[in-house]
Amino acid sequence: MLEEQMDILLGILYTILGNDYWWGPWIRGVIGLCAMGGIMVAAMFAVWLERKYASDIQSRIGPNRVGGKYGLLQLIADAIKLFTKEDIKPDKVDGPVWAGAPILMFGSALLMIIAIPFGAFIFNGVTYPLAVTQFDISILYLEAVSAIGIIGIFMAGWGSNNKFSVIAAFRNIARMIGYEVALGLTIVSVVIVTGSLNIVDIVEAQGSVIWFAFVMPLGFVIFGVSLIADMGRVPFDQNEAEEELIAGWGTEYSGMRFGLAYFAEYIHMVLGSCIAVLIFLGGWNMPGFLVDLHIPLIGLLPAGIFLAKWVLVMMFVIMIRWALPRIRIDQVTSIGWKVLFPLAMVNLVWAAMIGLVWPW
Amino acid sequence: MVNKHDVKKRMRQLAAEYIHEPQQEAYKLDDTEMMLHIGPQNPIQPGPFLIDLKISGETVRDSKLYMGYGHKGIEKILESMTYIQGLPVTDRICYLASLSNNEAYVSSVERLLDIEPPERSQYIRVIMQELSRIQSHLLGTGEYATDLGFVTMFLFMIREREYVLGLIEDITGARITHCFPRFGGVREDLPDGWREKAIDVLSMINEKCEMYKELFSSDRTYRMRTVDIGTLTKEDVIKAGLTGPALRATGIDYDVRKVYPTLTYPDIDFKVQTAKKGDIFNRVMVRINEIQESCWIIEQALDQMKPGPLFPDELPYGRRTPSMRVPPGEAYVPVEDPRGEMAMYIVSDGTDKPYRVKIRGPAFALMQGLPPMLENVYIADVPAIAASMDSCNSEVDR
Amino acid sequence: MDELTVLDSLKSQFPDAVADALIDSQPPHIVCANVDKGKIVDVCSYLKDNLQFNRLSGITSVDFPEDGKFEVVYLIASYDHSVIVKLKAEVPRDDNPSIDTVIPVWWNANWYEREVYEFMGIYFDGHPEMTVLVLSDDMMGEWPLRKDYQEFPQTTAKYPYSDDQESIVEEKYPLEWKSWPTERHYLE
Repeated sequence: MLEEQMDILLGILYTILGNDYWWGPWIRGVIGLCAMGGIMVAAMFAVWLERKYASDIQSRIGPNRVGGKYGLLQLIADAIKLFTKEDIKPDKVDGPVWAGAPILMFGSALLMIIAIPFGAFIFNGVTYPLAVTQFDISILYLEAVSAIGIIGIFMAGWGSNNKFSVIAAFRNIARMIGYEVALGLTIVSVVIVTGSLNIVDIVEAQGSVIWFAFVMPLGFVIFGVSLIADMGRVPFDQNEAEEELIAGWGTEYSGMRFGLAYFAEYIHMVLGSCIAVLIFLGGWNMPGFLVDLHIPLIGLLPAGIFLAKWVLVMMFVIMIRWALPRIRIDQVTSIGWKVLFPLAMVNLVWAAMIGLVWPW
Repeated sequence: MVNKHDVKKRMRQLAAEYIHEPQQEAYKLDDTEMMLHIGPQNPIQPGPFLIDLKISGETVRDSKLYMGYGHKGIEKILESMTYIQGLPVTDRICYLASLSNNEAYVSSVERLLDIEPPERSQYIRVIMQELSRIQSHLLGTGEYATDLGFVTMFLFMIREREYVLGLIEDITGARITHCFPRFGGVREDLPDGWREKAIDVLSMINEKCEMYKELFSSDRTYRMRTVDIGTLTKEDVIKAGLTGPALRATGIDYDVRKVYPTLTYPDIDFKVQTAKKGDIFNRVMVRINEIQESCWIIEQALDQMKPGPLFPDELPYGRRTPSMRVPPGEAYVPVEDPRGEMAMYIVSDGTDKPYRVKIRGPAFALMQGLPPMLENVYIADVPAIAASMDSCNSEVDR
Repeated sequence: MDELTVLDSLKSQFPDAVADALIDSQPPHIVCANVDKGKIVDVCSYLKDNLQFNRLSGITSVDFPEDGKFEVVYLIASYDHSVIVKLKAEVPRDDNPSIDTVIPVWWNANWYEREVYEFMGIYFDGHPEMTVLVLSDDMMGEWPLRKDYQEFPQTTAKYPYSDDQESIVEEKYPLEWKSWPTERHYLE
């Protein structure tokens, strides 16, 4: 009985969202916008989580006034403050470059939304991943688009006409060049084992055997370190180190320009954690015995599992930020090239061997 | 409302008068070099000072230090105030260690007046000195931790410092500028129940210092940033004339409390904390060890204290006489500040105001020794080194 | 190393350059001595090389306008023993007071001498860089710590900005925008 009702529902959904009528693509566009809004809410949640968790580590109480006892709406208050600040444009900045930098950073973070599946619903043994689109090269697309953000930070550093920003931009490029290589190599090793660049296939491959974090633990560790470096968080946040560089590339930004860039960093953190969960930690896969129990609406659980894993990964990333000091830029590049790159090559060889025996 | 065009005209006038940087002799640069001004409003340390770095890539080739943004003219002010009026002014020389500044001033004037405070006052002064040392080291090490990006340590240390400031506030009534010693004694006695509270707080701080030492030594990223960086050898330190923890970290055990003992320090048994290598890591370790040593000193002082009078029986002029005349002469009494040796050279000519007061602060030598340390160092090491020296800008500028 | 040893060796080595040497009766027992102005570098090198006085604690100056002299005071201590020596050198209070620098003996005399110069006007011959240290650039030449410095407000409260008095401060730093326009001119 339940399955027939699900079939009717799915039929209705296919009519609305499909290409049979003229309104199909428009409704899909609206759903994409809702996904964007959802990501904003997720980023707000990430900011709240960071502030509360950081205050817990530092033995103090975080925001506790706006929005109830736990300060849930604190970010809305901060956003209103940023909107109402005066927009200061210094005289000597390079106009389009300086103004376009936050837009580029925000845009690159948003472009990643379309290919990431945020969980899935499983009905009748068929998986419906909650992604805006699925295409065959989604993991390659994600990595490429996340690298566009670097150009944004460099534009901010160069266009500000400020010595501190330029130093920050140089440091940023040095860091990213080193760690993108290691990141790409670990992703390639995962792809070798799976045999497909589609991120949904990677998750399903983990569902059939075991999480990739256990299959290639070295790759998981390298991916974790490179991801934190990619997101630009401590211990890798030399480009915005306050003590030497007075807010680095963001020195000349105030008001909502700064707010865009700040928000873009948190969106990048959210999406990066999603990718980590999907590629290495099993995505939305449920333990097999739960499917056999035939609990009604069990199909909605995978999305919840994905959410829980995502929150755990974010808490780990936040904890690393508040527990470690910052390291110097020459130490950053030496770790990236001398340690992570050779280990990533070793991991690649290991993954190639695993790929030979992986049960398809 | 100011006219926008007047403002622009004035800005153009100022810009025309300003001598462009490369024309000044000190700013001649190669093609590969760049001049970075970590300007008066800098996030490195409390207090404004300007440090010009000539960098090439990420290495510092040359540096120059400009002080004087916080000059208040304290030495001239003290010449026009009576001795008792000058006591709150000496609080504000270095606001973090204000009890040591008071102590230096009061000891020198007591030498001129030829009086000696009774034993209970001496013990109370010793306790206050050590409490001030604990809170200054906690704040200095915490600020140094933020300069490395280690914000959590700063918040932990501030949390402990609040307890110590609570103890100080119970006695003196103020958290930051105390003005507590008087000529011949102290202002007030210890309140009831303070002793038990102090013993609890001090044992807690002792435990927490063990935790800090372990956190600092076992953290791999922290060691990458601080071990073997900003090293001072014994010859460097003797040449620069430093005192305090920066000196003791290189292995020379020179502590003013042992070399020129005043008050009741000879009766108290304590060790001078040293380390073997003068890099950033060891300087911070010396400071944390000193906090623990100070806790031990306070416990001994509390045990050895006996009830008694706070002022000697025959004071020449009463405790609060503003027009006290001091016999002519000169006095110089060194005192151990948290940063080194603090002393005041007071010249008196027999009237009720000092003739000349020279404040010899320890931070002067620390700042003077900073530019030679910053050669061939990365930019990211500059705040770490400057903060680990723990100098106080308002003491240099006075 | 005892205070008496230091005193005796100073007196015996420089019988005419060092005068009125005595020891303070109260702790810390400082050895005070008056030194001839021209011999200061010799005395300091002797103290550093033979008697192990390797730390310069401070250099200050005191102004005696009635006696017509400045006194430059050197406070010298050591890392190896606990004796402090205080040397006083008299510099006559004329147009160009000057004395030799002791930077060749102790490296950290640099900033102390700069400070004495900018506050009192005593020039140190041979100093590599005599510029302001703590004051601002346009106050060089005013010698604030001298006893006859005029621009310091006295504590018996003569408020320098009263209307019927011509203030020295206003002459030097005139206020430029004396009248504030009441309207904004948008079309100019």
